[in-house]
Amino acid sequence: MLMPKRVKYRKQMRGRMKGKESRGVEISFGEYGLLAMEPGWVTARQIEAARRTLVHAMKRRGKVWIRIFPDKPYTQKPPETRMGKGKGNVEYWVAVVKPGRVMFEVGGLDEATAREALSLARRKFAIKTKVIARHDVTLGEQA
Amino acid sequence: MKSVSLNAIPRALGRRSGAKKLRASGRVPAVIYGKQSQAQNLEVSAKEFGDLIHHSISENLLVDLSVKDDARPKRLALVQEIQHHPLSGHILHVDFHEIAENEKVTVMVPIETAGEPEGVKTEGGVLEHVLFKVKARGLAKDLPESITVDVSHLKIGQAIHLGEIPAPAGVELVGDKGIPVIAVAAPRTEEEEAAEAAEAAAAVPGEVEMLKEKKEEGEETPPAKGAEKASAKGAEKAPVKGAEKAAPGAEKKTEKPGEKKK
Repeated sequence: MLMPKRVKYRKQMRGRMKGKESRGVEISFGEYGLLAMEPGWVTARQIEAARRTLVHAMKRRGKVWIRIFPDKPYTQKPPETRMGKGKGNVEYWVAVVKPGRVMFEVGGLDEATAREALSLARRKFAIKTKVIARHDVTLGEQA
Repeated sequence: MKSVSLNAIPRALGRRSGAKKLRASGRVPAVIYGKQSQAQNLEVSAKEFGDLIHHSISENLLVDLSVKDDARPKRLALVQEIQHHPLSGHILHVDFHEIAENEKVTVMVPIETAGEPEGVKTEGGVLEHVLFKVKARGLAKDLPESITVDVSHLKIGQAIHLGEIPAPAGVELVGDKGIPVIAVAAPRTEEEEAAEAAEAAAAVPGEVEMLKEKKEEGEETPPAKGAEKASAKGAEKAPVKGAEKAAPGAEKKTEKPGEKKK
């Protein structure tokens, strides 16, 4: 699973996810992509599950680009623990995703296969997503 | 590139509130600028402009803009930029770049492929678009809407470079001629996939190297006293504080057995 190799601080505050994404909003490498429609934390596990689904659906053809990286630690206190005694342990890593972010891209495939693969992969996320294509001039007409 | 006609009217409503009102009424705020004239704020019909874009191959459009109450009946302009809403894709704003007919302009022209490469068809390779658009320079009327490249002869490991793409008459492709534009790469092997899966399985969420702690470990080799001084100053941040708290605790633990012995 994706996670940072080294960090400056082990634990982080939660932060806010206001507004829309301003970077990584266009398809830059492939021909089809998965666009986030709402804000949320996407876990490394979800990213890995989506990647596996894509690779499996693409049957070793084409190429996948992952445009998000889980660099935010998520901490949890063990069950049945009294409050206090400091912040919990890092359980997993998440990527902070805002609406408008292109999360995955695929290329080197025909349109039907690419759309099918991406629609399978989008089920792995807890946020609403949309399949988009580079050649669509207006994103609004996408399904 | 053929020019298409488009009607526009000068824009009176300014700022964000004005632009929002315009969009709500089915119009799109726009601006026209160029060497010959001063910049002017315009508004165009969202439907009319949307139809133009929808029927063109790319967002490179040459328009004959007729602005209401303007001295010039037609103003030749290139669509320089279209701003879309990041989620809905609706057009938010349009930039028109006014040009002269005899003026050379540089635009990004999309590259399209024709045919299926031999390396993909027979050897299972992957067709890679290294560049989706190339920079083309020429007179606006000579510039193509897109450039189609025949890729059917490409085998695995082969590429079409910028210098090999035939430019239309009167147009020059700008950039390093040796840059690959389209390539056919070898397919992924089972070994690569297995290595990726193993890598993913090996990662444990909690185990990450700390940049700061590593430095301090090096600095604080004779630890306890130095750490106490630091805590008195209160200058250090969270992870260090944890270490400090741990250190006195450890001291107490070591002291207690001694006391009991006495």
